[in-house]
Amino acid sequence: MRGYPAYLIGRLGQFLLVVFIGINIAFVVTHATPIDPVEQTIAAATQFGATSPEAIAMMRQSLKELYGLEGSLWEQYATFWRRVSVGDFGPSLSAFPAPVSTLILRALPWTVGLLTVSTLLTWVIGNLLGGLAGYYLRSRTLRFAGILAMALHPIPYYIIAFVLLIVFGYLWPVLPITGGHTMNMQRGFNLAFIGNLAIHSILPITSLVLAGLGGWFMGMRALVSNVVTEDYVVYAELGGVRPQRILGSYVMRNALVPQVTGLAMSLGAIFTGAIITEQVFGYPGIGTLLVSAVHVGDYSLVLGIATVSIVAVSFAVLLIDLLYPLLDPRVKAR
Amino acid sequence: MGKVLRDLFRFNREFAAGVILLGFVVLIASLSFVSPYPPNDSFVVPPDLPPSWAHWLGTTSRGQDLFWLLTFAIRNTLLFGFTVAAISRVLSLVIGLVAGYAGGIVDRVLMSINDTFIVLPLFPILVLFYFVMRDKMSWILLALVMACLGWAYDARLIRSVAMGLRTREFTETSIFSGMKMRQILVQDHLPYVLPIVFSTTMNNINWSIGLEVTLSVLGFTDINTPTIGVLVYWANQHTAMVAGIWWWIAFPIGLVIVTFIGLFLLAVSMNEFIDPRSRLSRIG
Amino acid sequence: MTAPALSVTGLRAYYRTSHFGVEREVKAVDDIDFQVGVNEIYGIAGESSCGKSTLIKTIAAAIRPPLKVLAGSVVFNFGGRAVDVYRAGEREIDGIRWRHLSYIMQGSMNVLNPVRRVRNSFVDFAFRHIGRSTAEFTRVVVDHLKRLHLEPEVLDAYPHQLSGGMRQRVAIALATVCRPEFIIADEPTTALDVIVQKGVLAMIRDVQREIGSSLIFVTHDLAVHANLCHRLGIMYAGRLVEEGPTSEVFRQPLHPYTQHLVSSLPRIGDAEPKKGLEGAPPSLADPPSGCRFHPRCPVAMDVCRGNVPPMVTVAPGRRVACFVAAPESRP
Repeated sequence: MRGYPAYLIGRLGQFLLVVFIGINIAFVVTHATPIDPVEQTIAAATQFGATSPEAIAMMRQSLKELYGLEGSLWEQYATFWRRVSVGDFGPSLSAFPAPVSTLILRALPWTVGLLTVSTLLTWVIGNLLGGLAGYYLRSRTLRFAGILAMALHPIPYYIIAFVLLIVFGYLWPVLPITGGHTMNMQRGFNLAFIGNLAIHSILPITSLVLAGLGGWFMGMRALVSNVVTEDYVVYAELGGVRPQRILGSYVMRNALVPQVTGLAMSLGAIFTGAIITEQVFGYPGIGTLLVSAVHVGDYSLVLGIATVSIVAVSFAVLLIDLLYPLLDPRVKAR
Repeated sequence: MGKVLRDLFRFNREFAAGVILLGFVVLIASLSFVSPYPPNDSFVVPPDLPPSWAHWLGTTSRGQDLFWLLTFAIRNTLLFGFTVAAISRVLSLVIGLVAGYAGGIVDRVLMSINDTFIVLPLFPILVLFYFVMRDKMSWILLALVMACLGWAYDARLIRSVAMGLRTREFTETSIFSGMKMRQILVQDHLPYVLPIVFSTTMNNINWSIGLEVTLSVLGFTDINTPTIGVLVYWANQHTAMVAGIWWWIAFPIGLVIVTFIGLFLLAVSMNEFIDPRSRLSRIG
Repeated sequence: MTAPALSVTGLRAYYRTSHFGVEREVKAVDDIDFQVGVNEIYGIAGESSCGKSTLIKTIAAAIRPPLKVLAGSVVFNFGGRAVDVYRAGEREIDGIRWRHLSYIMQGSMNVLNPVRRVRNSFVDFAFRHIGRSTAEFTRVVVDHLKRLHLEPEVLDAYPHQLSGGMRQRVAIALATVCRPEFIIADEPTTALDVIVQKGVLAMIRDVQREIGSSLIFVTHDLAVHANLCHRLGIMYAGRLVEEGPTSEVFRQPLHPYTQHLVSSLPRIGDAEPKKGLEGAPPSLADPPSGCRFHPRCPVAMDVCRGNVPPMVTVAPGRRVACFVAAPESRP
């Protein structure tokens, strides 16, 4: 079998593999370690006062059930998969009795929104500037941009977000440094609220863009400076094809193809960056939820977030993979 | 080799800058061996002093001399990065070389697994790991786990080089002379991928230090071993920024940024050196 | 003879690179003079890396750093209008591209943008010259394709959907759709198998005849030259060493290098194995002094080591740069 269907099946298989391996890692991490989350939770719950042994025994039993830790390892494994497949991670301990899935669903749109906007911005700006820098190698401005990209690129998300927090939180406090919107503000589809959302997202988005820009810039610059030596570009120049057309439809267009694969490949790292950034700015998404879940010792919530992250990122990768043939007609012939 | 390094230093500005930056960082780290204060002792100097001649980088709210504390922190941070890189190099070399050499179905299977590890969001997994380990968490354990999760990207790069080597004549010669796959990979192919291994090592150290700093600042590691991230963690615990103890945060962050840029510049210049086109014009 | 379609005079083009402090200069084209007549097919032969492709790039105003033109001129004559490639403005050069001067490139398998349908390539290259409405433009293109025995369906294909020979034909159609007066073809058949090659060569000849253009045809394959070209120039190590009508060059090669090339052609009935030329072609970064062929030349004399033989006319239409073949040119 060849062509488009083969491509689709291959990508779908890869998606299932990522989910499978990811969930297994989550299972191994939680079940193969010497630490018992049940005992941990009990220790946390009883540290502020004596509780009767019967109450502790009851608590132990119900926690085991709750965490899916009953029976043999195989039974636990089966329980684990059954719960993952229906999205049931049990109730959250810290926000009892709210189910973990509700908490995650409440936080997810924030993360998805932040991630989508910042990734699109980063990718578009980075590739555009990088492409121009690769095409107009002599431009001083673009060379300077290259040096800037080179200096910014190796600095991890956390540090950039942290520096921005310090600059705009303490040195020049003009922007809100925490939250997704002003507390207690009436939510609604009106200009004031949307403006408020936008202002609160400026710092998280800026730090994500700054941290991600360099990689796309340098990647695209390298790709473009390779593509301009390709026969079809040289030929188009000899043929007197309009320069803008050459830059757009010949150079950039071909250089973008590997950058889309690159986007799919780096989505996991971008996601990591986004949830770290959220935590720095107290943005009400998955990242902040995850960190606070760790601090309050909410086992099911941490496990749920890890699992949902794996599935969500793999799904986003699959989406990009499905859009890829639109950009590269050769996929259908492979 | 010596000549290559000297030429790189003379004619490649990125390489020279990288060596200088990293040399500076390593110098600071090596000063930890002559530190007058043990790393974990607190209240050995007056707290909250700004930078001065007596205390170059000031002192922390916990009564530590920041300069000497920083030497320990950057040493541990570098050590962490090297450990992760060293372990993950073994994994990525084995998988990259085997996939590139074997090709076919072996390559496809290995690369599927490889791509899985590239795509997986590692941060939630690492947090989950910390969550179940809690007090048992140590930096060597974290290094081990990160090495097991962070080999994939480099394995792919090594594979692409190894694929080119497979079709070269000397590989054929070795096969016909009856060498085993292991021998061919170690004796014939390994020397060719070493430059790219070097450059990926730098990037891998960057990556692992970045994640380590992130996890430490959140307190998700062993907070009693000073690293750059742990330093910032304690500064945050003492709300150093609000209290105006800016040096407690600024200097560790500044030093780790210098480390990042230095390592990255080395990787970049190495890549340029590996690039066959620029190399041809150099040798030819 | 009317004014030539192309005059190349004293052309010199070097590659200059500097990497890690090592300066290099590759003398790829050195003091070349020749002319191509109207409606003529002029062949350029020589082994690989003798500077053929660089010469072509220089003539076609397709130079990019590190290649640099140091001296000489390249003057086209399009129906009385002279265009000096290295003195004309960019706008003027742009104006003659494709309309008057077009190319069939080396490796022209890859000259089509892989992510663009063939139709769009035609639009990009030719629409501004043919103009008119889209429908009329399409009609012109389809007519042209038909003349070259190509189905109009190729317009809707992506390059990867066409076979190698097909892509080559499409590239030739693209290069000739504006009916240019001058066509430069750089090894257009090298990557093709023999059967396809024959078809493509016939196609090039037909097109040249039909639109009456002048053609420079470059290949290392002497058999192709013998079949196609009116006149032939032989290049060795960045210089032109011999020139003449194709049949005469084959019948009576003057330069020792040409003699070697011609004698190494297989002929039916040959029993003896061919003798190879001793030594390797010289590096253009550090060419031999004097005549660049002298280290490999069986008849080299002392004078060849220290002096560069000039290109001199020895018979009507025959030129050669050799102190043995043209004793009167010795210093």
